[in-house]
This record gives sequence, C-alpha cells and structure tokens, in this order.
Amino acid sequence: MTVQFKPAETFRDTFTYKKSPEDILRFPFPFPEDEYMYSVNIEPHVKGGATPAFQAVFDIDEHYVGECRERERVLKEDPKRCQVLPHMMAAQWDTLELIMESLAADYPAHFTLSKAGDVWTWVNRPLGLHQTFTFGKPETLPCTPFEYITRQVQGDFTLQDQREDNLFVDGGMVTTQADWSLEFNIGMSFHEWHGPVPGVAHDRGVFDRALKYLLRLQYGQPVRRLNWTMTINPRLDTSPENYPVWGPDRTTVTADNVAEKVHLRVELQTLFRLPRSNAILFGIRCYLTSVSDIARVPKWRRRLHRVLRDLHPDLAEYKGMTRYRPLVVAHLAALDDGAPTSRGIAPDTDRLDG
Amino acid sequence: MSDQGIKSRPAYGKITGDPAARHALLVVEGAGLPDELMAEGVDPSAFETWTVAHASTVPGAPVMDEAAGAVRPFRSARQLFSALEERLARETMGLRLCAAGTEPFLWDVFNIGAVAGLTRQEMQFAQMGPQARRIFCVHCRTVSEGITASIVTCAGCGASLFVRDHFSKRLAAFMAVQIDAEVPGEVPPSEEIYR
Amino acid sequence: MTGTIPVRVREITALAPTLKRFAFEPAHGGAFPTAPAGGHVMLTLRDGARVMKNAYSLVSPPGARGRYEIIVRKVAQSRGGSAFLHAHVAAGDVLEMAPPVSLFPLAATARKHVLIAGGIGITPMLSFLAELQARGARFELHHLSSPEEVPVFERLLAPYAVDADIRVHGGGRAAFDLAGLLSRQPLGSHVYTCGPHSLMDAVGTTALALGWPRGSVHKESFGAAAGGLPFKAVLTRSGMEVMVGENQTLLEAIEAAGVAARCLCRGGACGECVTRVEEGEVDHRDDFLSDAEKAAGALIMPCVSRARGPRLVLDL
Ligand code: HEM
Ligand code: FES
Repeated sequence: MTVQFKPAETFRDTFTYKKSPEDILRFPFPFPEDEYMYSVNIEPHVKGGATPAFQAVFDIDEHYVGECRERERVLKEDPKRCQVLPHMMAAQWDTLELIMESLAADYPAHFTLSKAGDVWTWVNRPLGLHQTFTFGKPETLPCTPFEYITRQVQGDFTLQDQREDNLFVDGGMVTTQADWSLEFNIGMSFHEWHGPVPGVAHDRGVFDRALKYLLRLQYGQPVRRLNWTMTINPRLDTSPENYPVWGPDRTTVTADNVAEKVHLRVELQTLFRLPRSNAILFGIRCYLTSVSDIARVPKWRRRLHRVLRDLHPDLAEYKGMTRYRPLVVAHLAALDDGAPTSRGIAPDTDRLDG
Repeated sequence: MSDQGIKSRPAYGKITGDPAARHALLVVEGAGLPDELMAEGVDPSAFETWTVAHASTVPGAPVMDEAAGAVRPFRSARQLFSALEERLARETMGLRLCAAGTEPFLWDVFNIGAVAGLTRQEMQFAQMGPQARRIFCVHCRTVSEGITASIVTCAGCGASLFVRDHFSKRLAAFMAVQIDAEVPGEVPPSEEIYR
Repeated sequence: MTGTIPVRVREITALAPTLKRFAFEPAHGGAFPTAPAGGHVMLTLRDGARVMKNAYSLVSPPGARGRYEIIVRKVAQSRGGSAFLHAHVAAGDVLEMAPPVSLFPLAATARKHVLIAGGIGITPMLSFLAELQARGARFELHHLSSPEEVPVFERLLAPYAVDADIRVHGGGRAAFDLAGLLSRQPLGSHVYTCGPHSLMDAVGTTALALGWPRGSVHKESFGAAAGGLPFKAVLTRSGMEVMVGENQTLLEAIEAAGVAARCLCRGGACGECVTRVEEGEVDHRDDFLSDAEKAAGALIMPCVSRARGPRLVLDL
C-alpha cells in the first residue's frame, strides 16, 4: 500500500489537522448497531473487513508524519510518557521485530527492513530515517528498542506481562491517550487499570471474560476491537497530566461550532501475543473525525445521533461528555431522517454528501 | 466512607497466613500485635513479628531470632524497612510476608517485597489505623501524605485536587486530579472523609 | 486455527540409538515465524491411511528463523508418530506443521530460573537456554539422564555450558537432592520442569511443600486438545446436516457448509454466536454462558463448544 502523506499537521494550538474525503471514508466507525453498550467486542485481527483501516497489521494513513511529530513533542515535554519496566526487555525486542516486519510487508514503498544475521537495517522514508543496528543489542539504537520503533508508528502501545493468571501493564508509549496515565497505571493488573470504567462494564462481566480470553491469546492469532469516546478539537494528547490544558475546551462548544469542534475519537485496539517474552502488545490506534465530517455519511450521522441520544448516563459521564452532549444530539437530530440503518460499521457509500 | 465505585481501590481482609509457607514474617506498624486483625483460629505465634515502637529506645531484651514466635521491635517504620530490605535479600523461597498498618505503610512494604522478588501471592495485607491517604498529583507528580479531605490544594503545583479512589500499588498512592480544570475556580466544598 | 505450513526435512542427525534430531525449513522458501521460547509445533504425519498428530518442543533458538529443530525419542514398541518419524521420514520429505504455540513460557519477572529436565524432557529447555543466555538471565539447569545417555546430553548442552551452571545427573532419581536444590533458591525464583510425569509431579509437590507459590512452578504442557470427537450437527432452519471433524470447531463446520453464522471473538467470550439447542447434550467450553445456562443445556456457543454425544440439533 502507498499512502500520500500530508505535510505535518498540528494537533494542538493551531489545530491544522484536516481529513481528505478518502480519509473520512476509511474512518473505522465504531458502532455496528444504533445503540451502544459495553461488551467483549473482540474479533480476530485479520486483513479485510468492513473498513480499510483493517487492511494492515498496523494502519498508516495520511496523518502519519504529523502524528509522529506530535509524539516527538509530547516526549520532549514529558519523557515518562514512554516507560518500560526492566523485566520487559525481551518484549521490547519482540515489539520492534513485529512492527518493523509488519510495516515493511504492508508498506514496502515506505519502509524497508533488511537483515544480515543479527545486523538489521531499517529504512523509514516518510520520516527520513536510516538505521543499522544489531538485534538484541540495545546500545546499537539511539534509544530503547520499544521507544525507537513506537516513535515511528501512529497510536499508543502498551506491553502486558502475563503472570499469576493475570495481565500487568508493565510498559508503554502513551502520548495520544483518552484520559489515562501510564505513569500512574504502570504495573497494574487488568482489573486494576480498568478500575475507573463504569460499574455496568464490570457488572456485565466484560472484564472477567475479556481477561480469560486474552490469557489464552495465541501467538500468530492477533485480535482487535474498537473503542470510542469524544474529544473537543482534533487533540491527540488528552492525558490526565495535561487535563488543565485541554479541560477548558469542553466549555467552548456552542450550537454554532459543535459540528467542527466535537470529534468522535475511535481507538482501533489490537492485541498480539509476542514470541520470546510471551507478553501481549496492545496497540491503541487513535482516529479523530469531526461531527461535521461524520455527517457527510448518511448512515453514520443517523447512527451517531441514535447512539448518543440513548447513551447510558454513566457512560456519558465517564467519557466526559456531560457538558456538550445535548448540543451534539440536537445538531445530529436535525440530520436524522429516521430511516433504518444497516448492520455493521461500513459507510455503505463511496461518495460523501455536501 | 464514600465509594466512587473504582475497582483499583484495594480491599483488605484479615491476616490468615498460608499453611503452605515455610516461614512467615509479619510486619506491624505499631507496638503491639494486631490480634483483632488475625483471622479466626490464626495464632500470632505462628509468625515472626516485627513491630514499630515509634520510640527512640525500643523495649529491652527483644527476641532477635528469625523464628516463629519471635517479636522484634523497631524504632520507626523507616528503620523496619531498611532491615526488611536486608532480610529479604538473603531469604529463600517459601517465605510469606504479611503486613498490618495504614495504607501507605502496607504498600511501601509491598514495594520492598516486590523489589526482592516476592509476588502478590506471597504477601498479605491488613489495614488498621487512620484512613488518611497518600496522594499523587497526576499533573505535577507531587506526593502528599496524610490527606483527610476530598479536595486539597497540591503542595507542588497549587491545583485544587480531587482525591480519586484510583489506586496505584507501585506508587502506594491514590490519584489526585484537578477538580476545576474545565472551569477554573469552580471548586465544590471539600469534605473531611478520610479519617 | 487450522492452517499448517508445509516444511521440508533438511537434515536428520542421529544423536543416540533412540534419539534423532530433525531440522526443517519452510518448503516454499522464506522464513519461519520467530519461535516462542518453550514453544512447540504440531506435526501431521501420514502413514498410509493413518493420520497422526504429534506435538514436539522446538529446540532451536527463537531467533533461528531459517530452520526449526526438534528432537524425537523412539519409544520401544510404539506405533505412534515418533516411531514413524524414526523409521520412515527422510531428508527432503515434506511434512505439514502447525505454526508454533507457546504454553510453557519463561517468567519475565523471575530473579532466577531453575530448569529441571528428565530424559527427552530436555527439549524445551534447549530453547530456554538460548533465550536465557540472550537475556543475560540467572539460571541453573539440572538434567536427569540414564547413565548410558549422560554423554549424549552433555554433548547437546555443551554449547550452553560455558560459564553456566548446567549439570547432567546420571546417578538416578534417588541420588538427586531435589529438596535441597529447591530449598536454597533465592526469593523470586521460578522452577520449570519437563520429563516423565513422575519427575514433574515430584518437582511440583516438593516445591509446594517448601512453600513455593503455585505461580512459580511451571510444568511443560502441550495443552488440552482443542478439538474432540467428531459429531453431527443438524441445522433445522437451514435444513442441513454438517459433520464436525475432530480438529474443527462447530462454528468452522457450519461456515464450511455455507451457513452464515454470527460470530465475533471465536473464543467463547463475546456472546455473539449464541445458538439455541433443540436436541443433544453440550460440552460447554465457553466463558460466556452462566453456570445455570450451561446446566440448562438450551444454549451453545458454537465457536468453542461441542456435542457430548454423536448429534446436536440447532436452531440455525
Ligand atoms: C490488554 C490491554 C488493555 C489495556 C492496556 C487497556 C487499558 C485501558 C485503559 C487505561 C482504560 C481507561 C481506564 C481509565 O479510565 O483510567 C480502558 C478502558 C476500557 N477498556 Fe481497556 N485495556 C485493554 C484491553 C481491553 C480489552 C481486551 C477490552 C475488552 C472488552 C477492554 C475494554 C475496555 C472498556 C470497555 C473501557 C472503557 C472505555 C470507554 O468507555 O471509553 N480493554 N482500557
Ligand atoms: S464468537 Fe464470541 S462467543 Fe462465540
């Protein structure tokens, strides 16, 4: 696959981020039905499926360069957004191997990996990188292997160690998160880090079942799920650390700007069992699409309206939408003609309205 | 006490011990044995016990054996911690580490145990004493001790912090988040709830 | 999943009268997936009409992508896959291999790894040794062998034995001080064992008796077979009968018959595939249905569960 990259866009201050029409249509819309409730919505991560975002092991799109630059900025401000506990070194190399091999296979025009025994050469053309290093020797890279490679992929990543019939989040690169802190959560078990999620998810057994499923996750059989929330402005770094910076945005939504300001934030989450370490790599690939862009797809605007209108209040509160949800629902209500929608997340069109 | 419904907040029980243990060490943040924290039928003399006297002269003639039934007093929690690090470094498999005390004490013990290689299965915790919290300001990383109110001013960055129930065992602290980040100045009244 | 990789036998080395090492390469070129440390592969062996499936630990290091190696012991009087490999498989032959799976991983947090193997149980340890040395991890290995095979195992272990605590014991189980070994290990140790059941059980019970926590004691396992006995599924709404093979899930058989069945996780967790059972007894293997629902027997999750008898009638 070949991608036309945008010159670096911004995800803060000036917010020059914009989606091309093709990019809107490849958005992994997260709602297969007109209503939403937490479930164990996990499926095999195989190529194909309802959205082009499922076509690659790690999806790269037109915002690649801009997102990598944004990550670089966040790390400059706060290097601890990338941390891996010392016992996860084998998992770091596993991650580097998986990501490099996948990118080189899925996007040969942009990435090349060549190997002479343990001496590997990595070429990243969009970012202009050319690196020769020895696999297994961290001192031959400019930073740790996990940081090195996750600086070159869109989306956050965490590493889970499996022990005592549980998973522990023992490392990560977390710069584009929906309001959770790696520095605070690192070392927690599956139920601990999911502690703040509303009780309805716990009570329905979502986390008990998801954990059992993940403990059995097999090497070579990755899985994925879609998760969502909403963000004001196309801002990637909505960390708790910077809540005082982005929190006030939530008060700026008005009936006039709601469609441009409010973004549906979707995470394409992928889970891979890693070979040497037996750890699980969790990819959290974030996609932002404004309500006005979503409204250009008839099925999506109808469905988003219905989902938000009927959303369980605990979920709305947890996702921080309380202040502005009525404005979004009112805006979308005017665009919902009540027509039935088809099952699944596909846009059911290849042309945008408007 | 209020419950925010956050499942990372630790739940505590009584000290039951583990019949499979080769040896059990019980560390107590107080001068006496926590009889009320022992599960029914569990005999405190099955443990080697370390206590904190909070006194510069510890009671004389302590039993210093590393054996069940021995009681060894320390002057302070810090002194106990440094002895614990030294002890665990030369321990062998089969040890269980139990702790009774305030929440910050328990999770400090947990981290010393974890550094020494103990897993969660090999440690047990019972809470006693004041409920005051240690908090971690997620914005500036300042750790504050002895927090009894629902909303406090951060000693590091001055933010008005809401104390969440989200707990990190590694930091041995609760998360604190600016309450008025969205509308600066909109701070609800604070309540004394962690006592 | 059912996919297999065709592999060509590259080389066969006789290590001892009953031990052979087989090296495989991908039959169509390219490289194998990185092998999990302690991982195993399943070989499908066809002796005329007889099909045998045998699991073998990989002994090659995880990073060796050009070549997978296994070591196979021929058991006297056995007619199974291992005897077939010894007697009938030659260099150049192409076999079917399922991609590697790991159910015997190394513990990342271990302060020290204690490896205890007996006989052919050395095989997963060989892949551990390569990985432990790559990590610079602290470990010791004890191998129990019959006296006559001591030199064979010493030769196998020699590449790893430089500066490492590796010992081959040929003096019998009684002379091996298991309790002494396990009682002097530092906090944070993990013990791994592979070999005869009696040895693995002895390691397990001795460690637990000394107060080791369960999570620090690891026994080699190839896991329970994913499949089960074949059975027939009658799909009333589609008006079809499908045969479910022993290495196939009910869901896979339904899909192969061209019936569109709802599914998502394919692992018994999401609930999407839930189907009403009209007749027949269910072998429930999912995490979705409650115990009461399982006992009632009116629902099945076809992605993982099977029939307990010869036949199931489903509302599909
Ligand atoms: C194993 C890797 C995973 C990691 C590291 C992870 C991490 C997280 C984190 C940090 C949160 C936010 C919690 C907070 O508010 O502080 C979260 C939310 C959530 N997670 Fe996970 N998670 C993982 C896997 C899963 C899986 C497999 C499921 C499947 C059901 C799942 C379901 C959820 C749900 C439903 C939420 C609430 C999201 C929302 O309403 O916005 N997670 N997860
Ligand atoms: S497909 Fe998820 S439970 Fe069967």
